[in-house]
Amino acid sequence: MIAAAVFALLGALIAFLSSLAGGSLRRLSIAAALSGLLAVLALPLTPGVGLRSSEAVSATLLGLLPSAPLLALVPIGLGLSLLLSRRGGRVGAIVSGLAGAAALLSLGVWLSRPAQLAELVPVPGIMEGVTGLALFALIQVFTWSAKRTRLAGLIAGVVVGALAVTYLLSPDGQTKFPNAGGYYQLMRPVTPARTSELIGSYNAGLADLNTIRQSIDLPPLKPLKSVTDLAGAGLPQAISDQGYRLLRPQTWDYGGPVLFLMAGLLLASGLLHSRRPDRQERGDWLAGLIIAAGVTLLVPSFSATNFNLSELVKGGPFLRDFLDRSWPPNLAQVNAQNPSANIYPLQEVMSQMALTIEIALVGTFVATLFAVPLSFLAARNLTARSVLMRVSYFVTRAFFNVDRGVDTLILALVFVAAVGLGPFAGVLAMAIHSVADLGKLYSEAIENVDKGPIEALESVGASGTNVLRWAILPQVLPLFTSYTLYRFEINFRVSIVLGFVGAGGIGFFIQGAMAAGNYNQMVIGVIAIVVIVNLIDFLSSDVRRRLV
Amino acid sequence: MIEVRNLTKAFPDGTLALNDVNVTIPDGDFVAVIGLSGAGKSTFLRCLNRLVDPTSGSILVGGQDVAPLSGRKLQLYRRTVGFVFQQFNLVTRLSVLDNVLHGRLGYHSTFSGMLGLYTEDDYARARDAIRLVGLSEKEDTRVSSLSGGQQQRVAIARAIAQDPQLMLADEPMASLDPRLSDVILGLLRGYNEEKGVSVLINIHVLEHARRYCKNFLAFNRGRLVASGPIADLTSELETEIYAGSLDAL
Repeated sequence: MIAAAVFALLGALIAFLSSLAGGSLRRLSIAAALSGLLAVLALPLTPGVGLRSSEAVSATLLGLLPSAPLLALVPIGLGLSLLLSRRGGRVGAIVSGLAGAAALLSLGVWLSRPAQLAELVPVPGIMEGVTGLALFALIQVFTWSAKRTRLAGLIAGVVVGALAVTYLLSPDGQTKFPNAGGYYQLMRPVTPARTSELIGSYNAGLADLNTIRQSIDLPPLKPLKSVTDLAGAGLPQAISDQGYRLLRPQTWDYGGPVLFLMAGLLLASGLLHSRRPDRQERGDWLAGLIIAAGVTLLVPSFSATNFNLSELVKGGPFLRDFLDRSWPPNLAQVNAQNPSANIYPLQEVMSQMALTIEIALVGTFVATLFAVPLSFLAARNLTARSVLMRVSYFVTRAFFNVDRGVDTLILALVFVAAVGLGPFAGVLAMAIHSVADLGKLYSEAIENVDKGPIEALESVGASGTNVLRWAILPQVLPLFTSYTLYRFEINFRVSIVLGFVGAGGIGFFIQGAMAAGNYNQMVIGVIAIVVIVNLIDFLSSDVRRRLV
Repeated sequence: MIEVRNLTKAFPDGTLALNDVNVTIPDGDFVAVIGLSGAGKSTFLRCLNRLVDPTSGSILVGGQDVAPLSGRKLQLYRRTVGFVFQQFNLVTRLSVLDNVLHGRLGYHSTFSGMLGLYTEDDYARARDAIRLVGLSEKEDTRVSSLSGGQQQRVAIARAIAQDPQLMLADEPMASLDPRLSDVILGLLRGYNEEKGVSVLINIHVLEHARRYCKNFLAFNRGRLVASGPIADLTSELETEIYAGSLDAL
């Protein structure tokens, strides 16, 4: 409850600060109402536990409505606030404030409820429909703005969306995506009579269960009096298997903070707006939509990445220990009695760093060799003359686009499997990936050349190849060089990481030192990387500035 | 002698840039091509060296119709026609000499051209042309560091290095300081008189046309509306040629 209050106050604080800064208050109301509605529909609010963790579900506010009818105040209030915000003005503002208050109240009541049983009711078609709608919306983003493409976009959106829905509902779709069917689940309340019936049947089977437990040296289980006895543990298998889950409103999922934040924001922005009804602008709806979309994307992502700063604080001592053990660096260790045990980490770092640079040099050079001729085939302006040239243009472009999508690291893993561990695998991966990247940059340079000299050389009767050589090449060569240097900068950094997957070089050294716990050797490698990365970036950007 | 017969050019968007143009230009003539912007002057010149493909009609140069030429034959024809562009169209990263040598590329095979294997004769002609436009001291200078007037003189030297039978100039002074016009026109006129090569020049300033040119061709909306000795270009005729210029604005 304290955390809930903190989030609500945070929302109010945002509204207050924004009001001080003179921002539109209706924009905040719209953003809060939209984000809140999206959270009601899509973000999990209350976890429902079964026996095993894989049986755990998390219900959205919408899914909880059958069990907690009072929560209906939240979507109703948010919806009203959104509807009345269209006109703006004082009435909309007051309703927004009231909606925020009602949401806070009903959410607070739900959060103070004890644990209760609920029955899962899957709602078919929701996940499928959302997928279809999302594809439809994605296509509209690209086609709606231009009148020319609007109709085609609508048709394509409907077709693609409908195809996706049909596929997910088809037998094949249901075998490939078994989670999609009935992904959205409602939580139906369980009557007290049925609850005691379930508990009774569990207690009746307890004698047999305890006999088994005794035979494998487990303590016997006590009979249940009510579901609150289970508040700290999972649901018995007998009950869980029948599709029942234990809802624990007092522990919330990540939808909770969002709902409280937005309710607090709505309450405060509504009240402030009712005192200053002129604080509204034309772009409020678009801004509110963008804020709501951002919140709905970011919050689940933070949850999915287990983002938790307190873990970092807990890990602090380990970090300190790590730093203690890596300083001072062990540059070399010479033992007069036993020369065979001498180690020279600094010297090793130097030679491994040289290898890393060499991998980047060869990878970039080989890529350039192939990218230059390919880029001419991929330049729109040079391939307009004949059908054959047009085809080569599309083929080359398609190759570039696919190749650019496959990262060097993935290619390296493939080549390590093919040609074995070592720098050659890294060089191959780097060269193949860089061909596409360079080829695309080169071809864009060719497409942007000044057409004047081309025309001039055509007018003196020079052949096509000579026009290429004397009108285009001199113009693009400095750009080609600049792009190649830039790619080398990137490839050098890629080459460091390639060491970790077995391509050798400084990355390999660091990995080895780390695995052996030689942190005071590893730190030399890290320092060397920092120095060389900055040196190469500085040199390369200096040369590139002179070129263009 | 150049004989243009029923020359018509329609662009893909439907604009009729040239509409049934008929004209004969004798050898050694110095012709001012006048008319409003968009009247078809530029398209006319570009048809003559086939930078623009005519839609119909013929262009007889020395008795040969050059309108249907393509490939190697077109390249051989083009090397006999010098063209001076409004925007100079030089490769600014290369030296003056390199740019003027480009005028000799039409005389080279793809292979020797690629490698820049110019002959002694090529160098001699290029250096002569550079001397003619007064830039001998700048021979090894990068074009990008030259002034606009100097760049246009390099472009004229490139055309001269071609040793052309015909010289076309598409508003060569339009991008330059007006005071440089006399230099450019003087160069073209001198070349015309010395070699007897016909020069056609698109020109906006009629005073220049009167001072330097022998004859004129006047275009209006794709049609050749008047032609003759420059002395015949009376102020009444001028008004007629430039009729509708306010509409054009």
